Amino acid sequence: MVRGLLADLSAFAAAGLKELRILRRYPTLFLGFLFWPIVLPAAYVLQARGFAGSSPAAMDAFAQRAGTSDIVGFLFLGFTAYMWLSMILWGPGTALRTEQVRGSLEALFLTPASRLVILFGPAFSQIVWALYMFGLVGLALVFLFGVPIGLAEAARALVVIAASVPALYGLGALFASIVLRFGEVSALVQTVRGVFTVFCGMTYPIIILPEWGRAVALSLPPTYLIGGLRSVLLAEADLVSLIPELAITLAIGLFLCGAAIVAFRRTERYAHRGGSLAQY
Amino acid sequence: MSDAALELNAAWAIARKELLTALRYPLQLVTEVAQPFYQFLLPSLLLGATFAVGGRSIGLESLTGSDNLAGYLFLGVIVGGMVGTAFWDMAFSFKREMDVGTLEQTWLSPTRPETFVLGRAISGGLVAGAASAILVGIGLVFFGASMGPGLLLALPALLLAMASMVGIGYLVASVVLVLREPNFFVDATNFVFAMISGVAFPVLVLPIFIRPIAYLLPTTYAVDLLRVYALGTRPLLDPALEWLALAVLSAALIVVGRFVFRRTEHRLRVRGTLGQH
Repeated sequence: MVRGLLADLSAFAAAGLKELRILRRYPTLFLGFLFWPIVLPAAYVLQARGFAGSSPAAMDAFAQRAGTSDIVGFLFLGFTAYMWLSMILWGPGTALRTEQVRGSLEALFLTPASRLVILFGPAFSQIVWALYMFGLVGLALVFLFGVPIGLAEAARALVVIAASVPALYGLGALFASIVLRFGEVSALVQTVRGVFTVFCGMTYPIIILPEWGRAVALSLPPTYLIGGLRSVLLAEADLVSLIPELAITLAIGLFLCGAAIVAFRRTERYAHRGGSLAQY
Repeated sequence: MSDAALELNAAWAIARKELLTALRYPLQLVTEVAQPFYQFLLPSLLLGATFAVGGRSIGLESLTGSDNLAGYLFLGVIVGGMVGTAFWDMAFSFKREMDVGTLEQTWLSPTRPETFVLGRAISGGLVAGAASAILVGIGLVFFGASMGPGLLLALPALLLAMASMVGIGYLVASVVLVLREPNFFVDATNFVFAMISGVAFPVLVLPIFIRPIAYLLPTTYAVDLLRVYALGTRPLLDPALEWLALAVLSAALIVVGRFVFRRTEHRLRVRGTLGQH
């Protein structure tokens, strides 16, 4: 049993390493990892300046609704979560489909490694990139925009990020199974990302949504990630005050990971019966 | 038939082929409307609502002279769609042809390579125009984006902007052919071009060192004239000057773009690297 577990862990690390090696072969991807985390939120910061204009009343309205007057921090944190989510949906979320298109999915299924490795392995390498992106945005906030983030705040933010990992990667794995079953990638990614963009408060505080919109927002894990990051980094909230949100995020994470395993098994059974594993 | 008529004929045939292909992927056509709606308009409208006082965008009004937030953003999307056509439909389509291995075959036909850009400008412009019309309709019906009849006066500005996008399409296509892995370049420059043009916010909020670039882009004047006539916003410059700048920049971009594209194409033929990707 222990030997099997160790073998699976080794396969898990190998799957993550493989994804990192593939990423290294496409250097233009690195340009994107440097460019978008800064430029995309910066554009919305300019838009916010346009909406604030020279009106102190408009600025006050923002501060009252957002709970902070720090527009830069507010938008950068929202968009960092958005980009993490994008990375997950385009990376682990489409990993199985990518293997299918490359023609390597059958070879992967023929290995003795656990199916969990196949499902969650690609997510492993993405955690490195997520941390890199959060680090880059953190440095930009501190050194370019003068947002005061100390070590204590950064550590609290890391706890919020860690609590979101099961939920976001569970979502990615669930998405991967669905994509494998239906064979469509782009439209599904756009739709799911669209729902998160509209409801999770990336550019606005969810308090401005109507009641039904808030209910939708509170059922989506990125809402808690964004809210948590803004609380610990911009409002100096401590982790104790965030325990309910963190617990909800972890619970959603457990549910999504479980749902991903069930969906993956069903997809696998469907593919075995219909012989559709290699079809695309 | 004259050379120009033949070229236009071929461009229309290319546009028809592109439109036929687009119709085979209806989901992709839906995303032409859905993507700017949820990825740009809704987040921007919600951000704008966060700054609203008594339901009015007084901050935007202080800068532009109009508090019509929805109108401001939905009109911006029209020009944003045009920019997207130049970067993705006209320029990036060469990369798609490289990938499927049909670039050499199409360039071996008697049609000039630059005519392919023109053909895709027509098809892309028609798709983007239809998507913009639907989006503006959504803005008018569901988001209170009231627009005055002056909008019709600004339609020639859109035609001029579309012409300038053909020039931009030539320039970006040249880079696509040389780079061969242009995804990031096209994505990033498309975004920056649209943002600097003032599609999403007033050009006046751009950092002072970027603002001169905005004044060199024809799309800046197109979107500004659109808002001036439809919403009554304050113009960046005297409207007569904006019309002149738009016309001159559009003509210059077509001439320069076509020249650069021809040179690039010739260089690729000499080096024999056309089909490499």
